[in-house]
Amino acid sequence: MKKVEAIIQPFKLEEVKEALIGIGIDGMTVSEVRGHGRQKGHKEVYRGQEYQVDLLPKVKLEMVIPAARLDEVVRTLVASARTGKIGDGKIFVFDVADAIRIRNDERGAAAI
Amino acid sequence: MQPLSDAAPVLASRTLAVDRIVIRSHEEYLRPGFPDGLAVVAVGGFGRQELFPHSDVDVLVLFEKEAAVAASKEAMAAFLRALWDQRLRVSQSVRTVAECCELHEGNIELNISLLDHRFLAGDRSLYEKLADRLPRFLHGQRENLIRRLGRLTRARHSRYQDTIYHLEPNIKETPGGLRDLHLAWWLAKLRQVQPEALEDARRFLYSVRCFLHTQSGRDNNLLSFDAQEEIAGPGGAADWMREYLRHARQIHRSAMRSLETGEGTGGSMLAQFRDWRARVSNADFTVARERVYLKSPHGFEPDPELALRLFRFVARHGFRLAADTERRLADHLPVLREWFARGGVLWPALREILELPHVVLALREMHDAGVLGALFPEWERIDCLVVRDFYHRYTVDEHSLVAIQTLAELRTTEDPARRRFADLLAEIEHPAALCFALLLHDTGKGSGVGPHIEESIKQADAAMERIGMPAADRKAIRMLIDRHLDLSAVMTLRDVDDRATARALAGRIETVEQLTSLTLVTYADISAVNPTAMTPWRLEQLWLAYLAAHRELTRELDTVRIQASAAPPEMADFLEGFPVRYLRTHSEAEIAAHFELDRACRIMGVAADVSRRNGVYQLTVATRDRQFLFASLAGALSSFGMNILKAEAFSNRQGRILDTFAFADPSRTLELNPPEVDRLRLTIERVALGKADVKELLRRRPAPAPPSREARIRPSIGFDDEASAGATLVEIVAQDRPGLLYDLASAFSEAGCNIEVVLIDTEAHKAIDVFYVTRDGRKLDPRAQAVLRERLLMVC
Repeated sequence: MKKVEAIIQPFKLEEVKEALIGIGIDGMTVSEVRGHGRQKGHKEVYRGQEYQVDLLPKVKLEMVIPAARLDEVVRTLVASARTGKIGDGKIFVFDVADAIRIRNDERGAAAI
Repeated sequence: MQPLSDAAPVLASRTLAVDRIVIRSHEEYLRPGFPDGLAVVAVGGFGRQELFPHSDVDVLVLFEKEAAVAASKEAMAAFLRALWDQRLRVSQSVRTVAECCELHEGNIELNISLLDHRFLAGDRSLYEKLADRLPRFLHGQRENLIRRLGRLTRARHSRYQDTIYHLEPNIKETPGGLRDLHLAWWLAKLRQVQPEALEDARRFLYSVRCFLHTQSGRDNNLLSFDAQEEIAGPGGAADWMREYLRHARQIHRSAMRSLETGEGTGGSMLAQFRDWRARVSNADFTVARERVYLKSPHGFEPDPELALRLFRFVARHGFRLAADTERRLADHLPVLREWFARGGVLWPALREILELPHVVLALREMHDAGVLGALFPEWERIDCLVVRDFYHRYTVDEHSLVAIQTLAELRTTEDPARRRFADLLAEIEHPAALCFALLLHDTGKGSGVGPHIEESIKQADAAMERIGMPAADRKAIRMLIDRHLDLSAVMTLRDVDDRATARALAGRIETVEQLTSLTLVTYADISAVNPTAMTPWRLEQLWLAYLAAHRELTRELDTVRIQASAAPPEMADFLEGFPVRYLRTHSEAEIAAHFELDRACRIMGVAADVSRRNGVYQLTVATRDRQFLFASLAGALSSFGMNILKAEAFSNRQGRILDTFAFADPSRTLELNPPEVDRLRLTIERVALGKADVKELLRRRPAPAPPSREARIRPSIGFDDEASAGATLVEIVAQDRPGLLYDLASAFSEAGCNIEVVLIDTEAHKAIDVFYVTRDGRKLDPRAQAVLRERLLMVC
């Protein structure tokens, strides 16, 4: 099992979600986050005074998937979240030791 | 084990198993609280008793009273949970009978899913109320539903570029897939008519879907390259896909036909306007609702020539055939076939069709009705023939039709890069010969063995003789088919600035008229390989190849030539030692810019410039020469995800070099992120000075997987001493990957070779790299070639 964490542009969320559902990935957790990478925030003018916006709004998607589907999921994420501009986000991949469904204590791949 | 087997027993047994689970869960969780006024109904594919191993289970929970819906919340949750725990992917809807019989604007799929319903458990009398009311509702809303179905279908088709031809089709959603099959079925049900019999196609697709579900363990409908190979067995994938596409084509045609039948029946203003257009009708044909009808229903029997007049009519006015006309043609195909086979002077009539404005529509209608195959048995050999190289997207027949379409579209193009070709087309006196050559240029592929061109010529010869084509036209068409790959072979894989290339090309093509025709055929042929095959780079190279051959044929002298001796001393210093071809291939302005770069290089040790022209980027680097420099620069470009198309290396007597790279930016990184251009330039400069490690930069780029297990490309290396006057040409075919060029160029460097020009072409995952190399200023001797071959093979 792998955990895939993707930080994407908020306006891409619907497209990414549709694409993932399209390949049969329908379990995911979505949160609104703030942060920056190489994009490093941007300047905004507020009441005539320039100030630095350090943290930019992003959306984080997390999903746990069978390892065999990792390539396909990453490909789909990249294709659907991509605009080509700086700030498109990142994808992180983790190994998952186990998964447990709380309601009935199912374990492993059956629980995801 | 045969991977494809009849789906019917699988579908039936899964439906039965799921029926049982749903009935039991109803018994346990719903019946106790709601013995009356609630029924569980199977709808959609479940309603049709067609549950694939992993498809969704559409369940409708029908309530008599609205109030009961709210009260059932907890029981419903338990019921659904029980289904989920049985690993069913349930799509449930909870509704009253009245709600089922109203139009759901935002969710028309729900109305459609109710076309297939089946009682499972609960209050049967409630279900019967639904079964009683639903047909009346559907009848009342018929036109509305058909219109919306049409809209949904068109939106879905446009997501798949409106074509059944996909290398890896989604067998449910792509045009010609299962959705289209169901569409035809729903439309027939709404109109209360018998659906067209598509039993073979249905059985085929059902077993494929069953296979995909079982093999991937989920609701997977993507027919990937791997899946195609697994189903068809070793080497059989192309033939098997031919079968798939034949079925898909049949389904797609049937679905579109039944969709269009309904849409034309409204008495709207538009329909009246269309009927007014019927004034184009003549003695043979009438036009009603944009469709061509025969005036005399039995006309083909006594007068087979009517068929050619029919398609001339289509080509002139752009109306498609009515279903009735298609049927009559189909009924008379044997008569037509016999008449065509007898031969005679058919060419004048055909030529007229090929020169009329709607020629593409006419040919497609001829193809669909089977008339093209009846006229040219040669054409039937390539019907739905698949070329499986992961690069050709269309079947051979479709490729030929798309090529003709590309040519037709050239007449109205606005794109300046294509206008040049449109001007060439305007020079052609009889474009019919071009169309005819394109129509039959690949018929030789139908024989399946050896080079196809010879076979295509044989096929075309027989066809041309039969239709009574005059000798002059025959000769022109034979030449076009014979040489239809000449220009494309040269344009991206030979140095078109090398006089030897132009001379060889001109020697084969012979006249300017033939060059013009051949350029257009090449333009159409490449454009029709797949929608993105004609890149701005290839377009430019084709034009340059045309120009080079044209100059050679007209003996036009090079006009852009500067006299090194006339240049100021500093400039002369810079030029000293550059090969003559440098002067021949660069304009005065370019040389001046290079000189500026060289001046900067003398101060900084390196200077680079990135610019964009005609959709292709150009990198120019001036620096001191050192070993592996060229390879390092190529590697640095690859590390940014750039595709190098052509590179040239020049060195002068001062030991300074000037390298130019033409490259494409497939991810549009530079265009969308202007600061990246600077970063690229700085990286190039650091690499040139040896301050950045190219291997490290390249390590960050992943190697792409080949499209399928069978698709791995075996590397091949060829040497050619004849193609250029001063250099040996090394042609390398290998599987593409980031850094391939870096490794190849390093291998040349290690073997002590000097790279003059590199040309790179990629077709899907196949890279074709051509190097013009010298060693100590001369061509390579056989021993050096043997050493080089070994070194190159090691890195491919």
